Amino acid sequence: MHLTRREALLATAAAASLTCCSRTVQRYPVGNVSIVKAPAYTMDVYDTVYSMVSDHRLNVRGKRIVLKPNLVEYDADTVINTHPMVVHAAYEAFLKLGAADVRIAEGPGHRRGTLDLADAAGYFSTVAKFEDSFTDLNTDAVAKRTIVNPLSKLDSLYLPHTVLDCDLLVSVAKMKTHHWAGATLSMKNLFGLVPGAVYGWPKNVLHWSGLPETIVDLHHLFPKQFAIVDGIVGMEGNGPIQGTPKAAGVLVAGRDPVAVDATCCRVMGIDPKQIEYLQLARGEENLSETAFRQTGETIRSVRTDFALVDQWKQIRAA
Amino acid sequence: MTNWKAIQNGDGGWAYSRGCSWTEPTAFALLARSADSPNTMTIPDRESFQRGVKFLSSIARPDGGWSPQPGVEESTWVTALAVLLPEGAVNEQQRRNAIGWLKTRSGRESGWRYRLQQRLVGNNDEFPQGWPWFPGAAAWVIPTSLGILAFEKALRRHDAASADLVERVESGRTFLLGHMCADGGWNHGSNRALGRDGDSYPETTGIALLALNGVASAQLERAKAMARKHLASCRTAEGIAWLRMGLSAHGESLAPAPDPVCRTNMDEALMTLARAQRNPLLA
Repeated sequence: MHLTRREALLATAAAASLTCCSRTVQRYPVGNVSIVKAPAYTMDVYDTVYSMVSDHRLNVRGKRIVLKPNLVEYDADTVINTHPMVVHAAYEAFLKLGAADVRIAEGPGHRRGTLDLADAAGYFSTVAKFEDSFTDLNTDAVAKRTIVNPLSKLDSLYLPHTVLDCDLLVSVAKMKTHHWAGATLSMKNLFGLVPGAVYGWPKNVLHWSGLPETIVDLHHLFPKQFAIVDGIVGMEGNGPIQGTPKAAGVLVAGRDPVAVDATCCRVMGIDPKQIEYLQLARGEENLSETAFRQTGETIRSVRTDFALVDQWKQIRAA
Repeated sequence: MTNWKAIQNGDGGWAYSRGCSWTEPTAFALLARSADSPNTMTIPDRESFQRGVKFLSSIARPDGGWSPQPGVEESTWVTALAVLLPEGAVNEQQRRNAIGWLKTRSGRESGWRYRLQQRLVGNNDEFPQGWPWFPGAAAWVIPTSLGILAFEKALRRHDAASADLVERVESGRTFLLGHMCADGGWNHGSNRALGRDGDSYPETTGIALLALNGVASAQLERAKAMARKHLASCRTAEGIAWLRMGLSAHGESLAPAPDPVCRTNMDEALMTLARAQRNPLLA
């Protein structure tokens, strides 16, 4: 009988509780997460993002950086996509810090015309010569990667060379509620790395393989990451597409995507321990507020409760 | 006219926009070339066409299906393109193998296990057989539309037992009609989520209409109305091309309009098919 890692973990946990055995709690290094107020998409965003990235003292000199925004729909006026100004600010920041190459790369899950989508979302008008700096991950050359100890039903994935070959993957996500996952932040944003030309539009294999589990498997495939979450205006309610704008006026960043996403949840008024993919990635005991070191604003000073659809009311933080 | 030879990769295939060759843009480039100049191909054009054919011959897999790229060890939705390619571009055995592979594949939701699970929780819905993008996943609008077009082509050529194919075409069309959005068009297939209607897209509306060629009903009238509405506002080559092909397949005469900007090789190929007097996907 073949057990996935998750099934094995659950079976082990159940056996341990039945026999009243104590279990060892895995501890993780304390992740630094910066929270900075950013009230609007103004030119100040460029300085803010530069300061956030440089505060984390990333060694990017001479490195190849890939910025992965969240591009979903043809609409510059809604809050579905990561705002192009945030992505451009990150692009400029990494170049200023000495990166040899910075690429913007995305493989949208719904729309096949990625360049048309990026144009409609305002990327062409914000980033000079956008096409030269951009890779469509849906149609990039791919290589097969084995997933070691998968949580999901997947044992391997084809992934684009552009992200497999980079030195640092930067998930530049949007702060949104999600009708299947609770919240979509920097970790869920990695679904856009999976090539549509292999798996289709939408990338339905990931859903059938277990949504929270595949989010964590993808996260584990990319150990060198940085996360920036655009919460200047996020999306509440029936996200990630049909929700409504929610101004949280905040940017959140850090080297540890789990820490960043757990912090974003608290900013959104969501209990991160109720988000299954965060639990699977780190364990409930490692998701407490004290498990991470927040710099900049306190969570209390920026908490803005995002409206939740009825199916997700139970994830509201106290 | 697109200079296909100039943008052909060294391995004989074509990229989606730039970079490595993939099955889908290569197949559509060959379809576009067959629509462009069926009788006036120059010798260099013929050589380029044959190099494209040779690239595709390396794509066929032992299970009869086709992979989306030589390095991908899995047969997927692109197998339908093997059946849709111009005559002579695929050898007869490969074509039959591809049909055989398509016959045995359908969306996971129409498999016995899923249907049994649904029955046990009181859901007695019918689950018509569409096609998935990737084995093991649910059926979606684009691969189902291509599967229907492929089987229709096979039926016109009498190169497979017809009863199975007719049944799958009918089932596929039932799938499409069941996944129509409230606005009359189609998106990828999620027409409702959490009790809310999803919006249709131009490209998926166009390809679904093309696959529903020959079907006439009040539901189709709504679909055509939505397609015309999309066409009036759509600015992408992909969307415009599929909408034009879909509406033309239902006898709609379209007013001449300037072509949109083509950003990718796929855009170029689709616009060529949309301009063709006789669409090779329906020939």
